[in-house]
Amino acid sequence: MNDHDIRNRFEELEAGGILGDLDAEEIKEWELLSKDPRCKRDFSLELTAAAIEAEFLQSRQSELPQNVKEKLRTGIAGFVAPAPANVVSLPAWRRILSAPQFAWGIAAALAILLVAKTLFEEPQSIHPAPLAGVALPPSEAKSQLMRKARDLKESDFGGLADYGKMTGKVIWSDALQEGYMTLTNLPVNDPAVKQYQLWIVDPKRDEKPVDGGVFDIPATGTVVVPIRNPVAVNDPQAFVITMEQPGGVVVSKQQVVVAIAKAY
Amino acid sequence: MQQCITKYSGLVWSIARRYVKNHTCVEDVVQETFTDLWKSANRYDPAVASESTFIGMLARRRAIDFARKESRRPQLEPLPEAESLPQSSAQPTFFIRGESGDVVAAIKDLPEETRQIFSLHFDEGMTHPEISEKTGLPLGTVKTRLRRGLIEVRNKLRQAESGEAAQPSNSINS
Repeated sequence: MNDHDIRNRFEELEAGGILGDLDAEEIKEWELLSKDPRCKRDFSLELTAAAIEAEFLQSRQSELPQNVKEKLRTGIAGFVAPAPANVVSLPAWRRILSAPQFAWGIAAALAILLVAKTLFEEPQSIHPAPLAGVALPPSEAKSQLMRKARDLKESDFGGLADYGKMTGKVIWSDALQEGYMTLTNLPVNDPAVKQYQLWIVDPKRDEKPVDGGVFDIPATGTVVVPIRNPVAVNDPQAFVITMEQPGGVVVSKQQVVVAIAKAY
Repeated sequence: MQQCITKYSGLVWSIARRYVKNHTCVEDVVQETFTDLWKSANRYDPAVASESTFIGMLARRRAIDFARKESRRPQLEPLPEAESLPQSSAQPTFFIRGESGDVVAAIKDLPEETRQIFSLHFDEGMTHPEISEKTGLPLGTVKTRLRRGLIEVRNKLRQAESGEAAQPSNSINS
């Protein structure tokens, strides 16, 4: 087969994959060809199939049942638009990092670094990616990460003060830059009044904690919250959840530390 | 997001039901499709695909994934994550906005037999063996016609859209 034939064959197998009709032999052939530099994958056939399907379904589309719609709305109630700018205030972080409940080894060093940094710089402005609070189930994304990550780190959250009943875990992969919090017994919040906010402490990257964004707890029980770090986090030493005003802008006087997951 | 649910939940629900038989799994597909959408919304480029095409693609992926698990058929490979979609800043190598009129025109240009197979597959939701049984065509012919028809429609959409400037208007990443 010449180059043209090989590309055509690969394209036909791609189409078969999208239509879900490849047999075992074709799968092997497809796997082999997909490693060939002459065979380039793109999304065009998949998009075409979706466009055709949408076109045909136009006339026979059925409405989402009301109960499913309600579940969906509840499930995505934690989807929050990003705040325009979140300002991390130094005093707040000093207090968090030196919390007596936790003999946190890095706290002192970090606090000193924060002070030094703040003397010379304006407070950090961060544009966080939004977080999704997804009611369980599904937690497939988290399960996927647990299956595929080779460097998965896990740590327990401990609730502070009024949040002592909360429990939780955080898993994180430096290599995949992906992580999830599984939080139980966090009080439901009214997004119009206050919102939870995640902070990632990675001293190797920056003295200042990375804003992980704001999220809501739409219902009691357990929720899985994907971590949506806007910048690379390479060696997180702690994950801190705070309660903030809507939009997640931190104001030191209002600082409430909800929970901390220490270094692994 | 609420807007997207209102506008596209019917489409996602219909696609999910087409591929997945278990009712609970259908609900999961719908929920996970919208989670995928939320996660990948910043990668949606209206110049590359229309909203319904983009959301339909996400729904198909999830639904096919579930269907494979249901039937325990061998997996080709995990479908690409939503995050792997090209970003707006990247130079796209394809433009399949899939505007309704273009799709209809492209399908109309297909040979009659292929159009019939398309209708049975995409409209009636029939499997390849079911189409083979209904039409009397060998299974291999059904597969080939569908595959080549899909490629042909893609090529025609490319032709139709290559000269047009996309008019972004969307509710996904607004």
